[in-house]
Amino acid sequence: MSHSQLDQLVSMANQIANNNAHQGDETVVVNFVASHLKRFWARSMKQQIIDYSQTADNNLNHIAAKAVAELAKEYA
Amino acid sequence: MLQHYTPSTRDVTKLDPNKDYGTAASTSTTLVTLEIDGVEVTVPDGTSVMRAAALADINIPKLCASDNLEAFGSCRLCTVQIEGRRGFPASCTTPVNAGMKVITQNEKIAKLRRNVMELYISDHPLDCLTCPANGNCELQDMAGAVGLREVRYGFDGHNHLEAEKDTSNPYFTFDPSKCIVCSRCVRACEEVQGTFALTIDGRGFDSKVAAGQDEGFLDSDCVSCGACVQACPTSTLMENSVIDMGQPEHSVVTTCAYCGVGCSFKAEMKGDQVVRMVPFKGGDANQGHSCVKGRFAFGYATHKDRIKEPMIRDSIDEPWRTVSWEEALAFSAERLKAIQEKYGRESIGGITSSRCTNEETYLVQKLIRAAFGNNNTDTCARVCHSPTGYGLKTTLGESAGTQTFDSIRHTDVMLVIGANPTDAHPVFGSMMRRRLREGAQLIVADPRKIDLLKTPHLKDALHLPLRPGTNVALVNSMAHVIIEEGLEDTNFINERCEDEAYQKWRAFISKSVNSPESMESVTGVSANDVRHAARVYAESNNGAIFYGLGVTEHSQGSTMVMGIANLALATGNIGREGVGVNPLRGQNNVQGSCDMGSFPHELPGYQHVSDDVARSNFESVWGVKLDNEPGLRIPNMFDSAIAGSFKGMYVQGEDIAQSDPNTHHVEAALKSLECLIVQDIFLNETAKFAHVLLPGSTFLEKNGTFTNAERRINRVRKVMPPLAGKEDWEVTVALSNALGYPMDYQHPSEIMDEIAQLTPTFTGVSYQFLEEQGSIQWPCNEENPLGTPIMHEVDFPIGKGNFAVTEYVATEERASRRFPLLLTTGRILSQYNVGAQTRRTDNQVWHDEDVLELHPHDAEERGVKDGDWLGISSRAGQTVLRAVISERMQAGVVYTTFHHPGSGANVITTDNSDWATNCPEYKVTAVQVEKVSQPSQWQRDFVQFDKKQQSFLREDRKVDV
Repeated sequence: MSHSQLDQLVSMANQIANNNAHQGDETVVVNFVASHLKRFWARSMKQQIIDYSQTADNNLNHIAAKAVAELAKEYA
Repeated sequence: MLQHYTPSTRDVTKLDPNKDYGTAASTSTTLVTLEIDGVEVTVPDGTSVMRAAALADINIPKLCASDNLEAFGSCRLCTVQIEGRRGFPASCTTPVNAGMKVITQNEKIAKLRRNVMELYISDHPLDCLTCPANGNCELQDMAGAVGLREVRYGFDGHNHLEAEKDTSNPYFTFDPSKCIVCSRCVRACEEVQGTFALTIDGRGFDSKVAAGQDEGFLDSDCVSCGACVQACPTSTLMENSVIDMGQPEHSVVTTCAYCGVGCSFKAEMKGDQVVRMVPFKGGDANQGHSCVKGRFAFGYATHKDRIKEPMIRDSIDEPWRTVSWEEALAFSAERLKAIQEKYGRESIGGITSSRCTNEETYLVQKLIRAAFGNNNTDTCARVCHSPTGYGLKTTLGESAGTQTFDSIRHTDVMLVIGANPTDAHPVFGSMMRRRLREGAQLIVADPRKIDLLKTPHLKDALHLPLRPGTNVALVNSMAHVIIEEGLEDTNFINERCEDEAYQKWRAFISKSVNSPESMESVTGVSANDVRHAARVYAESNNGAIFYGLGVTEHSQGSTMVMGIANLALATGNIGREGVGVNPLRGQNNVQGSCDMGSFPHELPGYQHVSDDVARSNFESVWGVKLDNEPGLRIPNMFDSAIAGSFKGMYVQGEDIAQSDPNTHHVEAALKSLECLIVQDIFLNETAKFAHVLLPGSTFLEKNGTFTNAERRINRVRKVMPPLAGKEDWEVTVALSNALGYPMDYQHPSEIMDEIAQLTPTFTGVSYQFLEEQGSIQWPCNEENPLGTPIMHEVDFPIGKGNFAVTEYVATEERASRRFPLLLTTGRILSQYNVGAQTRRTDNQVWHDEDVLELHPHDAEERGVKDGDWLGISSRAGQTVLRAVISERMQAGVVYTTFHHPGSGANVITTDNSDWATNCPEYKVTAVQVEKVSQPSQWQRDFVQFDKKQQSFLREDRKVDV
């Protein structure tokens, strides 16, 4: 796994979170982002972001991190 | 091999599309009965006598009349007598009346017509035998019809026989010595094309057709659409191909393979050679009109650069080896299997082509899902209209535009956002211009002053020159005005829209942060103008939105599409003629490639791969287990390739190395593949990185269907054999068989039958039904047996319309001190996309290099003059283009096209993308521009690499000879 690929995935996840902050309260937004990742990301991308989210000091923003945690419940 | 057009059986088109009825059809529903030569004829009120007669197959001689033009009454050949009226009225300008008795032929009329004809012929060269129109000349036909036997005036008088030819246009010749000044060309340029490039200069005997200010055609405003050539009843305006080859002997109706308008053409043939492409009046999308690309730029099909044989090589640093189809396919299959063995099932994938047919696209994604065993399929829609798919599906429930093109006849206000129809969708651009001349209002939201704003006889127009990247801010502030000022359509919202979503959206959009006044500093558009535009759109009877890649190719592309749908829902501009949300599709079959399941998360018909019911239908027909997880999208494939987990690709008819953003990144990805199979008609930029090159076939060499931007499925018909022996679908079949997944189709119609079986919106589609109907707009199924011209008339596929909250989030790509300008990219009329086709035609005379357009203010600040070489740098890369100073641009924004590979426009675009779909943000790149004296490093490398790869191709051909 290269750095640039991971950087790209992190920035994509953060971007999805940032663009949907107004969908509702935090639970609604987190579920929206998790569902988006589930429906549009390939298996390998999901796995990489889940693995990454479990590292300390990761760069996922608050919502994205929670959404990935939701995703992890299903895919880990 | 050849299939001929069968006239449609629909009542409204019982007309013969190959016959000219002299004047246009009347839209009146009141019927009038009259008598013509003793025959009783019933026609709609407002029909001309000429047309009424023609409908009864009484064909009155005519020269200046044509049913795609307004009646003109100048040639006087169509005179008739009407009982109870004096004189000899022209039948083209005389409307029918109830009980009218018309005589079209008697001795007096015959004499009059002969006299008229005699005058015409007294100033016409009598070189009929050697004239290019011989065999298809209306003047000659009319001379025959009226029985002209002598010209008493002689030919020595004052005449135009020595008038000089104008051969400046590469595709047609203007020979004024043959002109009868019927004005058909001038009127076609005005009424059909809407360019007003031609005029009649002088008076009386000196009247002559002139282009522009009496200049050559090429230097005038002429856009070479061919309408004048088609209108000319003599050989005054004649295709050079007819001058060279003579008249065609048969014709086949097919569909153009350029833009998403999907024009129908008659390919007029001599054997298997195309003599000319003539727009087909029976084509429901284009209704007999064309542009310079479809009409004339077909010569690439027989260009010397065509790849004629399969080729393979072990590494991209080696010359190509020409091999048999069997060897090339076995080599491909072996390599793909070895890669999967070594790196896993998900290590390979493929790209379907939006230039190929529905059937071909369907087969490629089937090959990937069934034979590769993964969902790593994507298509060029990823980089153009994927946000349309996402945004419209979320809000309206279907990933497609809502209207027919023809619906624009009922539009009162056009809101055009991020689209440039007169260049990119020229035939539809002409339809828009016609409606604008009739008085429709125009609102354009675009950083550039597009040509639609310069429509001759435009009545009321408003330009909102927003900053690139601020679409969502603009559309939100328009919606804010609509709610704030109570301009919403409450009935429509109550009856047709989901209330909870609406209330949520309403609360969001009403916030003062979304007001035009708050957003003014973001968009750069005056709040007053935004308020005015919102009122005009909301208060019109029929407001229609048209948009293009200026909407989708942004970090908020999907948000913007939803913002557009919100506007249409809030104002009730959905579900009838004249309104709607109309994405203007870039490539001929980009709608079709999306419909056919090219995306990694969707099976054909937009059925998600995780949908167990849909997937099991495919599994039972395809006989394999399918993956229920989405695959990689194009940019994800590139990232994975560089990371080392993605190693093999099958690319049909798409040039990702030129068209995709951040060229350095794309090239690095392609170089890291162990097996790249490219199927194309030329050695395109991507093929230079390939290990297998499979010859593709052009649209002229195959059977199939394309689906245009109106969801219209049109037949593509083979007029010549494929150069390398296989149509593209046959290559995919052979590759699948080589991989051990058997495919067995004898004809594309069998593929369509399978598509219909598995796609709920296509169940009624078959080749037989297409022959009967001419074309079909999906959904075509039990509920909509004849197809669906206008969508969402009663309800939405998701039940009720769904307002989406569309918060404006600024892109991370911002102008800075280092990169103070914003670059945006687009297309021009004469070239198409990466230019692989049009660069190999005479369209080069209009645009043989990409240039950088910049505002005089930005030019002055940098000491730049027209024609200077400019280095353009972004954080992704640098390239060099020539400067063109243009006031179409706003200060701070520069613009270029990407039609020529050596320009490297995508060397500077970045890998930013739409949050929802990864559609690249082509339309916003922060750049700096400075004068330079030599090409960029990338360009110098490109020239070297290109030279090497071309020699690898030639070396092999030398051996072959």
